[in-house]
Amino acid sequence: MIKLRSFFKSFGSKRVLRSLDMSIDSGEIVVLKGKNGSGKTTLLRAISTLDRADDYDSAEIDGYDILSYPEEVRSRIGYLSHNPPYYPELTGFENLQFWLRLNSLDFPDSKINELLAKVGLVMFSDDLAGNYSRGMIQRLGFAISISHSPTTLLLDEPFTGLDDEGSEIIKEHLMKMKEAGCSILLSSHDPVKFSDRTLTLDEGALS
Amino acid sequence: MNPLLVILRKELRVEFRSLQGIVSSAMLAFMILMSLRFSIVDSFLMQNSGLLWSSILITGLGLITHISTREVERGTIEIMKLSQISRYQLFLGRMLGYLGLLWILSTIVMIIHYILFENPFTDDFLLAYLVVLVGCIGIAAVGTLAANSATPMYGGWMLTSLFSIPILLFTVIEAAIRCTDSLITGSSDFGLAFMLLVLYNAVFVTGGAWLSEISE
Repeated sequence: MIKLRSFFKSFGSKRVLRSLDMSIDSGEIVVLKGKNGSGKTTLLRAISTLDRADDYDSAEIDGYDILSYPEEVRSRIGYLSHNPPYYPELTGFENLQFWLRLNSLDFPDSKINELLAKVGLVMFSDDLAGNYSRGMIQRLGFAISISHSPTTLLLDEPFTGLDDEGSEIIKEHLMKMKEAGCSILLSSHDPVKFSDRTLTLDEGALS
Repeated sequence: MNPLLVILRKELRVEFRSLQGIVSSAMLAFMILMSLRFSIVDSFLMQNSGLLWSSILITGLGLITHISTREVERGTIEIMKLSQISRYQLFLGRMLGYLGLLWILSTIVMIIHYILFENPFTDDFLLAYLVVLVGCIGIAAVGTLAANSATPMYGGWMLTSLFSIPILLFTVIEAAIRCTDSLITGSSDFGLAFMLLVLYNAVFVTGGAWLSEISE
């Protein structure tokens, strides 16, 4: 569950997010729309704790304040950047294993391959991620973002670079996670038919 | 597996698959020591460990800067920042990764120095090697601290942060040089200088971890 009240974020003198109020319940999929530079990515990054919010009356994930309990918040969040980072020198398997071990999740190899199979990458699990296509990187990034069973998903343009099959795989997983009670906030320029609500950001304010 | 060891293992694996940092740094160290070996004829300077430390410092900081810049440019630093580990663990993990690579690099530098400068440490070579390994801890701690503080900055501020490395490292390097010099000259300074080196390292490691934790 995501709750924001009077949420502000600036870069220098430029105010990017202005007094945002937003609430996303468990099991809800909300799409964030807006022009380029409207603050979509900034909002997702600030909620994920990657960037620090300037000021707010309240900013909570599952009741945990994002600045007071950052580790609790991070354990509940799955974040997919619009350009998912990865180590090209490591295989897809090793990239996912690194993330899991960093979060003290020592999954057996079979479980990691299972996760890769979910996004259609198990055939390429031993290939270096540096040889992956854009769409495969997006799939790997998605697998990483859901691997630790987060209660909140923040996805920045998750369908970028994906073919029809890839988009369908991600859609199926999002629906499953919604049923399991996960709160999902995703930014997209394209219409997302399976969403519950759409919010539009315009110059840092929700309209 | 401990998150610190996970980061160390990742750093070593990435480096050994790409060999981008170690090979170029080792070649640079070789060129520095080679040019110094044949340009300095003063026997006093030849017997001075400052040449060894200057090559370790220049190539070691180059290696750390290369790795940390790569991490920022690729955005992979965000993978670590989004994980559940606390900021002090992230600092120690990254420092451990840099330290592992610095130890490999300094081992290569020690071998080159041994050959080109005809082992000025004579029987105390292993003790000198130990001092180099311990000195690398301070270099890794300060390098990680500077890389952390430079990451969210832009332009001039980032450079200012990186330029602060030699200022902070002055203490470590001074103690390290005194240690290795005392091994060459056989003076009784070694114990005190080594204690200072360990103390400075402890200050930078704990200070770096503490600053990382409170900076969140």
